Amino acid sequence: MRVNYITDDVKAMIGAHNGPILAYHPVEASEVRRFFQAIMDPAPRYWDEAWAKTSRYGGLVAPPAFPPLAFRRAPTDPDPLGHMEEPDFDGMVRSFRGLPAVQVPLPRLLNGGYEYEFFRYARVGERIYRSSTYLDIYQRDGRSGPMVFVIVADMFTTDDNVPLITATTTTILR
Amino acid sequence: MHDICFEDVSVGQDIPTVVKGPMSTAHIMRWSAAMENWHRIHYDWKFATEHDKLPDVMINGSWKQHVLIQLLTDYAGERGWLWKIGFQFRGMNVPGDLLTAWGQVAATELRGDYGVVRLNIGLRNDKAAEGTPGTATVVLPRRGGPAVPYPFDPACLGPAA
Repeated sequence: MRVNYITDDVKAMIGAHNGPILAYHPVEASEVRRFFQAIMDPAPRYWDEAWAKTSRYGGLVAPPAFPPLAFRRAPTDPDPLGHMEEPDFDGMVRSFRGLPAVQVPLPRLLNGGYEYEFFRYARVGERIYRSSTYLDIYQRDGRSGPMVFVIVADMFTTDDNVPLITATTTTILR
Repeated sequence: MHDICFEDVSVGQDIPTVVKGPMSTAHIMRWSAAMENWHRIHYDWKFATEHDKLPDVMINGSWKQHVLIQLLTDYAGERGWLWKIGFQFRGMNVPGDLLTAWGQVAATELRGDYGVVRLNIGLRNDKAAEGTPGTATVVLPRRGGPAVPYPFDPACLGPAA
């Protein structure tokens, strides 16, 4: 029998919003280095300070889709590894971006994709803010069973509300 | 670094690819550590295959996105701008995959002093499996014209047709 995971409580979460939330620390040169080395993109805008200073960026910048990943755990935040002894804990929370948790009892999570609009790179030393909204939450029933799609819209800015990027992220619970 | 102009572009053109890999568990670990991603499907083989019923540990979608983004930032050059990109993770990628990001020009449009190029994009592995279909929009300067303004403001393009 088909289970409907989109209960009234889940529907009521659509439109929930938070932010702007400030990333725990400004963009660090070291995290940008680890980031561009991990994605294996050697563009000089990320590492060549002399070149970057004379470029249109005015200094070193982080890769375009860095801002969504810039929100590090603060020292007082719960340890995400604190539940690893639980057999069903997959390392991920269901309260996306600090929005209310999506109460859907499906144990598996996959990344469904992204949409971005880019305005500006985040510069090393800049602060990043995030505002987030549950854009939609809906169910599809596939061959492997039910899937719930959680769509979150984010706006990332730096000081003085200068836009960096907008992002729409699809997460699939299954 | 090349400086492509709108006049260099035509519909149906393939743009230069970006190739990464073969990918390994070490690449996945390096990325997961860099972004502090603790999702077990990326490093816990037993959890990935038994609990989540996946074929292996997964290459992160959050990593694969950057291959597509690099494809387009390389293409746009330092005088153009990657304006929009969107893609879906429909196929899974696992250690051993050699990944190729590709793009093909789908449409072009002159707007104001700049050219707007729409592309179909994707990421395929060495077995020719396409897993990440998407689209992108790049703004390019015209030959002899000004660079695309930075920071980018879509208003510089004037009204859409």
